[in-house]
Amino acid sequence: MTREEIIRSCLIFATGLFLLAFTLGPFIWMIWISLADRADFLVTGQVEYSLSNYRQVLTAHSLHFLDYLSNSLWISTITAIIVTLFSSMAAYAVSRMRFPGRSVVPLLILAMSMFPQISIVGYLFEMFSKAGLINSHMALILPYIAWTIPIALWINMSYFTQIPLDLDKAALVDGASRMKVLYKIIFPLALPGIFSSALLVFIACFNEFLFAIMLTIDYTAQTLPVGIALFQGLHGEIPWGNLMAASAIASVPLVILTLIFQRYIVAGLMGGAVKG
Amino acid sequence: MASDNFLQQYEKSEVRTAWIFIAPLLLVVGIFVLVPVLGTFYTSLFLDVSYLPEQFVGLRNYTDLLSSPDFWQALRFTLAYTVAAVTLEAFFGVMFALLLNEVFPGRGLLRVVILIPWAIPTIVSARTWQLIYEYTYGIMNYLVVNSGLVSERINWLGTEFGAFSALVLADVWKTTPFVVLILLAGLQAIPEDIYQQAKVDGAGLFRRFYKITLPMLMPVLVISLIFRTIDSLRMFDLVYVLTGGGPGGSTRTLSYLGFEAFANDNFGMGSTVSVVTFVVAFAITLVYLKAGKFSEQLK
Amino acid sequence: MNATKITIKSLAKSFVTFRGKVDVLKSIDLEIEPGEFFVLLGPSGCGKSTLLNLLAGLEKPSGGELYFDQELVADSVGKFSGPFERDISMVFQSYALYPHMTVEGNIAFPLTNLPQVPSPKVMQAKVKEAATLLQIDHLLDRKPAELSGGQRQRVAIGRAIVRNPKVCLMDEPLSNLDAKLRNEMRAHLKDLQKKLGVTTIYVTHDQLEAMTLGHRIAIMNNGVLQQVGTPVEIYRAPINQFVARFIGSPTMNMLTGDLNEENGSLYLQADTLKIKLPTETACKLKPKNLKKITLGVRPERLYVITEGEQNLALPVNVIENVGPEFLIYSFHKQGQIVVRTPDEPVGDSLCLALDAGHLHLFDDQGARINL
Repeated sequence: MTREEIIRSCLIFATGLFLLAFTLGPFIWMIWISLADRADFLVTGQVEYSLSNYRQVLTAHSLHFLDYLSNSLWISTITAIIVTLFSSMAAYAVSRMRFPGRSVVPLLILAMSMFPQISIVGYLFEMFSKAGLINSHMALILPYIAWTIPIALWINMSYFTQIPLDLDKAALVDGASRMKVLYKIIFPLALPGIFSSALLVFIACFNEFLFAIMLTIDYTAQTLPVGIALFQGLHGEIPWGNLMAASAIASVPLVILTLIFQRYIVAGLMGGAVKG
Repeated sequence: MASDNFLQQYEKSEVRTAWIFIAPLLLVVGIFVLVPVLGTFYTSLFLDVSYLPEQFVGLRNYTDLLSSPDFWQALRFTLAYTVAAVTLEAFFGVMFALLLNEVFPGRGLLRVVILIPWAIPTIVSARTWQLIYEYTYGIMNYLVVNSGLVSERINWLGTEFGAFSALVLADVWKTTPFVVLILLAGLQAIPEDIYQQAKVDGAGLFRRFYKITLPMLMPVLVISLIFRTIDSLRMFDLVYVLTGGGPGGSTRTLSYLGFEAFANDNFGMGSTVSVVTFVVAFAITLVYLKAGKFSEQLK
Repeated sequence: MNATKITIKSLAKSFVTFRGKVDVLKSIDLEIEPGEFFVLLGPSGCGKSTLLNLLAGLEKPSGGELYFDQELVADSVGKFSGPFERDISMVFQSYALYPHMTVEGNIAFPLTNLPQVPSPKVMQAKVKEAATLLQIDHLLDRKPAELSGGQRQRVAIGRAIVRNPKVCLMDEPLSNLDAKLRNEMRAHLKDLQKKLGVTTIYVTHDQLEAMTLGHRIAIMNNGVLQQVGTPVEIYRAPINQFVARFIGSPTMNMLTGDLNEENGSLYLQADTLKIKLPTETACKLKPKNLKKITLGVRPERLYVITEGEQNLALPVNVIENVGPEFLIYSFHKQGQIVVRTPDEPVGDSLCLALDAGHLHLFDDQGARINL
């Protein structure tokens, strides 16, 4: 080995180890505490491990953990489906049809996504109060659609433009309507891209907090992040074991999704970032 | 005769179909983004407190806000926080991206592991960090005290500097993966033969890094940092969980200040803070784009 | 038989952009006969593909009218029928096969879009028929990615003929194939068109394809129709320098210079080269009183002689042996002059004779001078 190769190996080893510790440390700590019967064992030195925290979180009705979880899943899933539908239709028109405004629309939508959530949420609260929507699933689904659709549009656009235009022309010549071209030709071919945009939308909604805490009141509509942020346990002192178990359960679907569909997520982030 | 009319070149039914395809998107964004943004601006001109009748006050909310020390404190904190977090993210981002671009056993695993912090909901990670920073039995104090770095436990969330560092660290942990991913793609786009040429020309490991890698990575790095800056400037959830704006209001971000006003049913002032937050974020983005002349590359 | 006549009346197409108006097609007039194999030939960017798209109904004209038989299918005012209404089919350079469908799915796709979708049985029979005609009936279950270039080409043609269209449009369909396959497919295509008798419009930039395939050829440049005629007409009497250069390989030799009269003979002085025009040509040219002309001669019409009256002499720079014949290159200030001859030349210069019947003369505007 040359001197340069030795330096390189050492650097890789050290950085790799650091990366592992840095990224996994807090995650492991979360899991560890969730399995322990007490959170202060570093000081007291006494600890027993069991799954009882998980059992309590999943069974104690007063914690409403399962309500939060199902709210989150419903809201995120419905949003992802609607956003996928709307954004792929718009992306199709913008990337493959000739009409005045085709270059303006995506930029306009991108500009809309520049507004911070805080500059929307106050007025949304007043709108939804008047409409009686506060504390309903709708109160989150509607703003989530509008909030995530710009990025979905850009990701889908970047995938659609990779499909040769001749395919559309051929399909039109073969007598297909634009709608049919979209769902028979473009949709199947851009499926990986559409899937990654849907996944990113789902994750964004699952994680969202500001809208969720402003526009909901109780467990009938509150999502997991709100539930976990407000988690106080039954009496005073924060029940860290329960909380970390709830956190672990909330993270696991996302971590698994991420690990399985890593390729799509990275592709989606790239598509959105490089174009956006 | 050939017509010079701009619209005449389009086919009518095609144009109609295109707008039908775009309509749902425009409708949703219009109603749930554009209208609220305009509404927020409108509300910011009113004294709108829930227990009083609405009253038009012109720019008084703005003058009130700009003369309040809370606002300047929040602005200072938001900017300082953004600078610190984005700088660290750039540093760790480049470091990890370089690592993951090398060929070595276990690289595939690390490329997956790096995504975990990104996947965990911010609120969940904030709660975890809250426990890590716990004064008496948190692992952070356990580590810094037992390793001999400091002699006394640090009150992470109870002192100004501690809370600042705690927030920055939690943010860096959560968002560095995003930077790494973008930089990694940038690195993979640098052709391998340039490095081989540089080796032939006698450039060593470090020289290759700062003469070839860094300059060629610059555009991608700037883009990722723009994203991170825009995001940091509107940060809210970490503050909500970790410090609640404390101690003594020292860690309120602009978003948090707005949220507090809304939570106190002061919609006029909340809207004013929101408008100012947007203006600040927008101005900084413009500065970024101007400074880096990246407006062309973004297209 | 289902043959349609196409009438194109002062058809124009321009795009309006922020930088201004771009004229892609300037007032094209054409009549294409029923059952004709008609070739649009020109360099890339000449407007031939735009014309094809206008015929297809994929783009809308900015001026003029377009008729299929007696029926107006598009004008600039508002009349516009889409591709399917016009009952055309199209073969693309990229083949544009749907990658996620099988060969059968690809060929059947146009049938599934008919107002009355045929029963699966009828559909299957039609697909089978087209596939058999193209000798791809054993590939029906494959996906496009599993096929060779030639096979994909056949699938694209199958998709174009399966519903008996009125007009078949082809946009450089052979240019993605390798040379050997291209020759094979060219012959196959010609035979197929003859069998089906469908009016076919074929776009290409390859003059050899145009010459061998077309009943008639239209040559285009810069959005303007240059010449329309049979391959023989165009080869024998190109209407201007552009057409003369575009048709024929190697290209026609061109020499530009001043006309001088010496001792009763007419000479063309092209820079350093002095060419004596044949007496017959000189007689006809004299009354026209032209000062400056361009002389065009195809390489095979420059005759190497050892005795008799020579018209010009050239130095030999490069000799290529291309099998049945030799190509001799002589470098000149105005470009290279190529001579095509069956015998290997001797010495380092050539004595050449011209034949009055095979000279092309062009005026200073580039237009043909008819003698």
